Amino acid sequence: MSEPGQKPRGASVGARLRWPALSLAALLLFNWFFSPTFFHLEIKGGYLYGTIVDVLNQGSKAMLLSLGMTLVIATGGVDLSVGSVMAIAGAAGALLVTRTHLPFGVIAPICLGAGGALGVANGLLITALRMQPIIATLILMVAGRGLAMLLTGGQIITFEQPSFVFFGNGHFLGLPFTTTVVALAFALTLWLTRGTALGLFLEATGDNETASRFCGAPTAFIKTLVYGFSGVCAATAGLIATANIKAADSSRAGEMMELDAIFAVIVGGTALTGGRFTLAGSILGALLIQTLTTTLYNLGLPPAIAPAPKAVVVVAACLLQSAKFREWTRGLVGRKAAA
Amino acid sequence: MSLPARRKFIPLLATALALAALFTTASLLYPGFCSRLVVANLFADNAALGISAVGMTYVIISGGIDLSVGSVVAATSIVAATLIGRHGWHPVPVIALSLLLGLLFGLGQGLLIQRFELPAFLVTLGGMFFARGLAFAVTPESAGINHPFYDWVQALRLPLGGRAGLPATALLFLAVFVVAAAASHLTSFGRNVYALGGGADSARLMGLPVAATRVAVYGLNGFASALAGVVATFYTGSGNPAMGAGLELDAIAAVVIGGALLTGGVGFVEGTLLGVLIFGTIQSALVFDGRLNSWWLRIAIGLLLLLFILLQKWISGRAGAARAE
Amino acid sequence: MPFFAALLAASTVLWSGCGKSNETPTAAAPPAETSAPAAAAPASAEPKSSLRSFTMGFAQVGAESAWRTAETESIKAEAEKRNVNLKFSDAQGKQENQIKAVRSFIAQGVEAIILAPVVETGWEPVLREAKQAKIPVVLVDRGIKVNDDSLYATLIASDFVAEGKLAAEWLAKKTDGKAVIVELQGTPGAAPAIDRKKGFEEGIKAYPGMKIVASQSGDFRRSGGKEVMEALVKVHPELTAVYAHNDDMALGAIQALEEADKKPGTDVIVVSIDGVKGAFEAMAAGKLNCSVECNPLLGGFAFDAAGMAIKGAPVAKNTVVPDRVFEQSQAAAELPNRKY
Repeated sequence: MSEPGQKPRGASVGARLRWPALSLAALLLFNWFFSPTFFHLEIKGGYLYGTIVDVLNQGSKAMLLSLGMTLVIATGGVDLSVGSVMAIAGAAGALLVTRTHLPFGVIAPICLGAGGALGVANGLLITALRMQPIIATLILMVAGRGLAMLLTGGQIITFEQPSFVFFGNGHFLGLPFTTTVVALAFALTLWLTRGTALGLFLEATGDNETASRFCGAPTAFIKTLVYGFSGVCAATAGLIATANIKAADSSRAGEMMELDAIFAVIVGGTALTGGRFTLAGSILGALLIQTLTTTLYNLGLPPAIAPAPKAVVVVAACLLQSAKFREWTRGLVGRKAAA
Repeated sequence: MSLPARRKFIPLLATALALAALFTTASLLYPGFCSRLVVANLFADNAALGISAVGMTYVIISGGIDLSVGSVVAATSIVAATLIGRHGWHPVPVIALSLLLGLLFGLGQGLLIQRFELPAFLVTLGGMFFARGLAFAVTPESAGINHPFYDWVQALRLPLGGRAGLPATALLFLAVFVVAAAASHLTSFGRNVYALGGGADSARLMGLPVAATRVAVYGLNGFASALAGVVATFYTGSGNPAMGAGLELDAIAAVVIGGALLTGGVGFVEGTLLGVLIFGTIQSALVFDGRLNSWWLRIAIGLLLLLFILLQKWISGRAGAARAE
Repeated sequence: MPFFAALLAASTVLWSGCGKSNETPTAAAPPAETSAPAAAAPASAEPKSSLRSFTMGFAQVGAESAWRTAETESIKAEAEKRNVNLKFSDAQGKQENQIKAVRSFIAQGVEAIILAPVVETGWEPVLREAKQAKIPVVLVDRGIKVNDDSLYATLIASDFVAEGKLAAEWLAKKTDGKAVIVELQGTPGAAPAIDRKKGFEEGIKAYPGMKIVASQSGDFRRSGGKEVMEALVKVHPELTAVYAHNDDMALGAIQALEEADKKPGTDVIVVSIDGVKGAFEAMAAGKLNCSVECNPLLGGFAFDAAGMAIKGAPVAKNTVVPDRVFEQSQAAAELPNRKY
């Protein structure tokens, strides 16, 4: 993430990544002591098999969502509709694959396009109609879930189409295919934001929209674009979720995932107020959350109680990142560190 | 009143007009909708949401946000139900304890937000998960409450003619509303909250107690959520760790529909009351229709919300109020 | 302050403007409901028949599974057949919404209410109101815990405890009383999950060789079943049987087992409850071993009971819908008959 001639920025990114990385390391250490099967890896059927692989696989949805969410939060907004867009994309995919006999290579872009279109609709509500992002995306969150259920008629639509199934369950280079999808998405997003001026415009828009607009940055276009991008990420995650269970479950797909995505982004180091963002941080944050969930499953903790320790870990991770907190602890220990 | 002062009430008026339009349309479409019973039910059914939303108004006006309310409602309800049902405590000390716990929980969140400058979204999101997990840890099943005190309170009603009447919970909601609205206009605390929302730095420079106000606002909201949880136990006669899912979003929607801005400094408690009534009217109308299945219902709610906000913006725009970003 | 006044004025106008319309529940034919949609879209059912049409309210839990949707369709279809003006409400899984719906039905003056309660407690206040308004309430699909039995007319449901026992007994027979079992529970706090767990545990008590080594909630969802199974198969690779509280979770678990190189149906015996079409297809493919039926097609029973209750005739307090056990051998033959 560091580029030549931009040392100071690289340094601050590295520092911001330090905390989520440390938290993840702490969690893995905990597993080392308390959950011996966690690190067990073997080769089964020609690919890696083990709990860590599961974390990568199950966490792929959150990682994808967090990519889109990072950019949205960087502009100072938030996208609550990603869970519903996941459900819509999954439902559309399952419907298309069972009703028409289009190949997955055609179905996937259609679904991604639909997700993008819904995202752009959000963006337009926010830029053209000046709605607050929470409300605009809340509307799609509510209505979108209804749309997904309308598509499937309240049924669970199952399918067996091999390439669709491979998207969520297959393996590539020994790892789950979903990891490849995430890696590709991450590379693409990184290039789009850091390899072009887009990242600069994004951070400027989030930092101070009015000033950026006066400087000539196309803020309305940028904002609409990021919501569209978030929609595409959500659609991809939705296709993965659907492919994973070979079925579209519209009423429950993507439930609560928007909160996990927002958590991941913030723990990763991007501020909710907008401005500077870090994609790698969000990926780390998503991994942290998935690792936590899997750890709790392994410990046999009922999933209903799982949110409580999750909350403690996330708040702890944020406290570690807070300069004020570190000052306070240093004060407690009686050491005066340089500000 | 001078013109500038009048201008700031325009969104409120817009909301009121839109509510009237909604109610009238529903009354025309569904006979029996326009009746004292339905209106009384609006207050009785949405008492918990209303109390929660009133607390949320203060938080949003102060420039913050609180996502933990639904889970605090659930946690309060199950703790109360367990103490009364399984351990035989008398409801009155249980209620007092629940309110105290809610207050402390809110204060805790407020302290984290203020002292360590953590984002409110995140801290309260953590609070939401924590309270929910805690509620399920108490017991995963719902628990009934059988106590003469509860029977007595549930029987209290203010008759309004015909079959309509306001139960104690609705009256409590109205009382909370009146107190909160009065406090927002008449006390210095209320003014401090507005000032904080308008700009924390300027408020601090003016010498206002920013830190105390912020912590107090979250504490009050915690108290309001716990009170909403107690009201929910009277409404259902039981505690349920799964209740209140999504309540925070409903409350935020009600507050925003009422004209508040999420950036802070703008909004009225009266607007929130209107927002809650709008929510209730939409839900009521859809049940009166009785034909929509689950998915059409969600689509209808989403579209109605959208329509509503557009209508409100249009009315505000027409009235000439220049709403700056 | 002027807004306090304005609000007060508005509410007074509203109050006086709204007359005493529809204050008393109509015991006679309800012309109001059927003539309402004149201003709106065309009505759903306005048949001309000599039988008088009842108006009833149905407060459903939600549409979270195919089973639930089948239950809804069954009730709606029966309503059409019997010329009942059915007011349908979907609570999206929340008890608060169900209570609001029932109170709205009371306000609308329906003649009977059908309720599928999402949780077991918390219904006393609203049922008391229904009783006061002399509207009989028919419970479907799940029971409730009340002190006063007269608050509802009848309960029409499967016996979830019996379902769990049937599953246990079938598994005991199949494995000769020896099995290492992983249990996939339903949503915590839901009556079917609680009872199916209880019934199964009672059923295996007589077989000391049958042990549940892990039991976690998959939330009645396919993805939940898959995720939990994925984790548990690594912690307990020695498992020989899986008991899932519903077919959806079992189907997800089957996928997880296949990915872990354990053949579901042969290496690991899989038994579940509900009897949805997907389960029969899995049994025909040899991956699921047994599914205990839980019949959602309760429409007929519900309206029979409601009709009798309205007339004031005595109704049986508890109608247990019988459940059958289906095994692999019967699956292919039975598949075309499955309506849900």
